[in-house]
Parts: sequence; structure tokens; C-alpha cells
Amino acid sequence: MNVITIFILHGLVYAGLLFLVSSGLTLVFGMMNVLNFAHASFYMLAAYFSYSLLKWSGHFWLCLMVCPLLLFVIGAGIERFLLRRVHVLGHVHELLLTFGIAFIISEIVKWVWGTAPLPMEIKGFLDSNVNLLGVVYPTYRLFVLFCSIWIGLLMTYLIFKTRMGIVVRSAVDDSEMVNALGVNTPRVFMFVFALGAALSGFAGVISGPLLSTNTGMATSILVDAFVVIVIGGFGSLIGAVVASLMIGQLQSFGALLFPKFSLALIYMLMALVLIVKPSGLFGEKK
Amino acid sequence: MEKKSKSIWIAGLLIAGVLLALPLVAKPYQISLLTEMIIFSLYAVSYNLLLGFGGLLSFGHGMFLGVGAFTTGAMLQRIPGLPFFGAVFLGTLLATLVGLGLGCLLLRHKGSYYALLTLAFNALFYAIAIKWHSVTGGDDGLPIKRPNLHLGFFQLSMTDVTTFYYVALVVIGCAVLFCWYFTRTAMGKTVLLLRENEERMQFIGYNPAVSRMILFTLTAFFAGLSGSFYALFFKFVGVDAIGIDMTTTALLMTFIGGTKNFFGPVLGAGFYIYLQNFLSNITDRWPLFMGILFVVMVLFAPRGLAGLIQSLVGLLRQRKSRQAKEKNTPGD
Repeated sequence: MNVITIFILHGLVYAGLLFLVSSGLTLVFGMMNVLNFAHASFYMLAAYFSYSLLKWSGHFWLCLMVCPLLLFVIGAGIERFLLRRVHVLGHVHELLLTFGIAFIISEIVKWVWGTAPLPMEIKGFLDSNVNLLGVVYPTYRLFVLFCSIWIGLLMTYLIFKTRMGIVVRSAVDDSEMVNALGVNTPRVFMFVFALGAALSGFAGVISGPLLSTNTGMATSILVDAFVVIVIGGFGSLIGAVVASLMIGQLQSFGALLFPKFSLALIYMLMALVLIVKPSGLFGEKK
Repeated sequence: MEKKSKSIWIAGLLIAGVLLALPLVAKPYQISLLTEMIIFSLYAVSYNLLLGFGGLLSFGHGMFLGVGAFTTGAMLQRIPGLPFFGAVFLGTLLATLVGLGLGCLLLRHKGSYYALLTLAFNALFYAIAIKWHSVTGGDDGLPIKRPNLHLGFFQLSMTDVTTFYYVALVVIGCAVLFCWYFTRTAMGKTVLLLRENEERMQFIGYNPAVSRMILFTLTAFFAGLSGSFYALFFKFVGVDAIGIDMTTTALLMTFIGGTKNFFGPVLGAGFYIYLQNFLSNITDRWPLFMGILFVVMVLFAPRGLAGLIQSLVGLLRQRKSRQAKEKNTPGD
């Protein structure tokens, strides 16, 4: 019983991280029709930034605030000065560009921080255990879960209750029409792209102490986030939530029950969804 | 038109002659570099059939090369006395079958969706290669003994760098020429149709799904063939051969060379291997420079090296004709 509780919690924590990364990815895709390969690189970059900042300042809370902001600026810059340039050349070029950026970021990270995994240590009350539902569970993992739920709720509020959210949602549906109605869609695109980068960065910062900072972290979460998008459906936020939860639990229990095949399980789920409902669980058929 | 095709023939024969004669003057080290270029040029050409001709951006080409390489390696290890071409055949066959199977799953999709799915499947194959230790050797990889080539009465010793070079040149050269021929056949033309206007293609009565399927399987076949030779060339297969980095290599080679021209990827593969060799002597971080080169080309030279050369030639020709005109009319 205790083991099951622990693994459910583990799955939820990973689902939270996955949601933070994939929600930005799916929103950017829905709006700009750009599949951003560099999205997970923002996650990795933020984790390394926070490693250095933590080493220098010693305050984790500072990292949590500064690094997403940094990534916001970087994301906005990339959208404004690189992505917008190749927009006229079409899809393939946008994809290639984000891919190239991801490649460069990963090489820069290897250059600056080396290829060895860097451990991050958390001090203070986060570095303790709590009694929860009869099991002893690390506070930090609960903190990660709490953060992702909180951000998820914040995003839901922003998207469904504010004027900005209305613009974003309508731009996902039909960006040309929104532009024709007098909204500066390029600026909205830049904002959403940067926000996605910041969210991804936030996920990177909180994942650092959880899953050690290493150079392979971008690829591994990128592939998982892609699977989430395929299963949940392109551009669907609810799909991202549900699919993240599914993948989180599947990965957690897969590691418990079939340790040899745990990696293949999520792909099997993806293949199944592709066969049964190619547009994803919550995706609209185009 | 006739003049143009004639000059292509002459250029082709000239290049073939140079490639055949090179081992007489080159050092063994340069020959093996050249062999690597030849093997990767087939890989890049097969990738460009998808990207440049079919308009399908795939992020999973590495899995075909990897399947070809691992099958060749594992079979050579398991089956004693397996002949050279038997190993190549098995590797290519399995890669083709994998292409066929994945093609069935993927043929409905295109664009970003297709790119994403191919990446996910590549990650799956990478995971299998790491986990299936008993066959692939996991992280340690597979060491391979290159078998000798039996040709009826005599046998060729494959340990010799030059012999392997000639075998690779003939087999892979034929494969590249076949790809070129394919783009000129009616079947190859439907692939172009697929890229340009799929609705219209359906309207005329072609089935885009079938064309995409054939294209996908064909590129898997050629990538598998280059994978087999990759394994035999390095005498070792590691998980690098099937990873996402391998796919990246195909993408960089093809794009740097130029996707709009059939022989662009060949140029790209040669340039990439040369640059890699050159840069890795100077710095460990050579992929960074490759990446920067790639992004710069995406931004400023989307037609690649082949495109640059074409526009350079066009510029020279213009200047020549202008000069000729000025000579003819000295009064102006």
C-alpha cells in the first residue's frame, strides 16, 4: 500500500514537470504553428543557470525568480530576431531553425558547464521529509507538485478569464482573423513564445534538485513532451494536463512493474493513440 | 538541352575517374576519410529524398542507419562465416522492414506532426539499443570483424583500406545513381507532386499515402544500406549510430549541402566530414561550430552550398556575357 502511494506521488510530480514543459510547447504550436524543438533547451538552460546562481548566491528562491525571467528575455529575443525572419520561408525552415538553436544551446551548455552531471543541493525546510498519507515523503517533491499545480491554475485563470487569454485563445483558432480585427498578433506571438520559454525555464529550475542537472535532460524531456502533445492533441491545454498525468503514472509504475520495458511503455501508448485516434485525445481534427 | 546533358555526362565521368584513381596517390588515412564521405553521402542523399523531394522533414532517419548497422554487426557476431554481402543484405533488409512498418503508422501524417512522430520513434529505437544488451551490446557497443569478400575464384581481403574503398565506391555509387534515376522516373515524379500540391495530386487520381509509403520505405532501404557499410567501415557499432545525433548529422549534411539539388547532399556530406575532421583537430567543441554554420545557413542561405555555387556560376556567366557584349559593341 505504502509503495503504491509513493509511486503515485512520484508519477504526479513528474506529471507536473511534464505539464509545465508541454503546456508552453502546445500553446506555441497551436498559435504559431511552430513545433519548437528548442523548448526543452530552455528548460535545460534554466537548470544550468540556476545551478550557477545557487552556487554563487546560495538562495534557491532567488533562482526561482531570476532564471524564468532570464529565459523570458531569451525566448523573446529568439522569437523577435531569429524566428520571425524565417517565418516567410515556411514551416520547414522554422522547424530547422528551432532545431539548430536547440543544437547550439546544448553545445554551449556542454562547453560552459562540462558534460558531467551536476548535483544541486537544497538547504532549509525544503530539504526534509514529511509524513503524508502514512508514508514519509520528501518535502521537495511535494513542493514541485505544488508549484506545478499552482502555475497550472494561474495559467487557466490567465487564459480563460482575462482579455489577454481571449486573444491568445482566438489566435490559436485563427490567427489571421485576430490580426484582421486589429490585434498586434506578432507581439502576441512573441509574448506567448517568451512565456512558454519562461515556463519551461521554471520547470528547469525546480527539476534541478529533483533529477540532477545533466546534458541529456533536454532531449529526454523533449521526447516525453512530444509524446504528451501527440496523446493530448495539438494545441489543447486540457489534453496536455491529462496526457501528462497519464505519462507520469505510466512511467512511475512502469519503472516499478516492468523495469526493463518502462521506456517502451509510453511509446506503446502513443502508438495506440495514433492508431485509434490520430488527432489525439482532445485534439480537433484538421 | 542536349548540350547540358552532355556536360553532365562529362562531369560525371570525370568525377568517377578521379574517385577511381585517387587511391593511387592518396595516403591510407585520406582513403579512409574518403570512404567515410562516400558512405555518408548515400545517407544524406536518402535523407534528401524525404526532405528535398518529398517535402517531409523527418527527425528519425538515424534509426534506419542504426538498424542497418546493428543488424549487420549482430548477424556477423552470431552467424559464423556469414559472407560480406550477406551481412549487408540482412542489415538493409531489416531497415527496410522497419521503414515499411513505421511507414504504415506514419503515412497519414505530415508537417510538424510527422517531424515529431519520427523523433519519438527515433528515441524509442535508441532506448531499445541501450536496453537490449544481449544483442546490441548496450553502452559498450558491438565490435565487428570485417569478413572477406569471396568472388568465385578469388577472394578480396577486406582488411585492406583500398579494397574496402573500392567496394564501397562501387556499391554506394550505384545506390546513389539509382536514387538519381528514381527521381527521374514516373514514380519519383509523383513524390515531387506530393510536395507541391497534394490535393491536386489526389484529384488527378494518385494516392498520396501510397507514394509517401514507397518513398519512406525506399529511404529506409538506402539509409539501412549506408548503415551496413557504416558498421563494416568502423568495425564497431555503438549507440551513437542510432541516436538522435545521427539524425542531426543527416539533417546538417543535407541542409548544408543544399536540399534543392540532387547532388547537394553529396557535397554536404563531403564538406561535413572534412570540416568535422579539420575542426576536431583544433577544438573538442566542433559541433558548436557546425550548429552555428547550420543556423547561419538557415537564415541567410536556405539553398545550401549547392545553391551558393549555382548563384556564383550564374553571376560569373552574367558577367562573361556582359563583357562579351561590351567587346562586340566598342562604340558605346
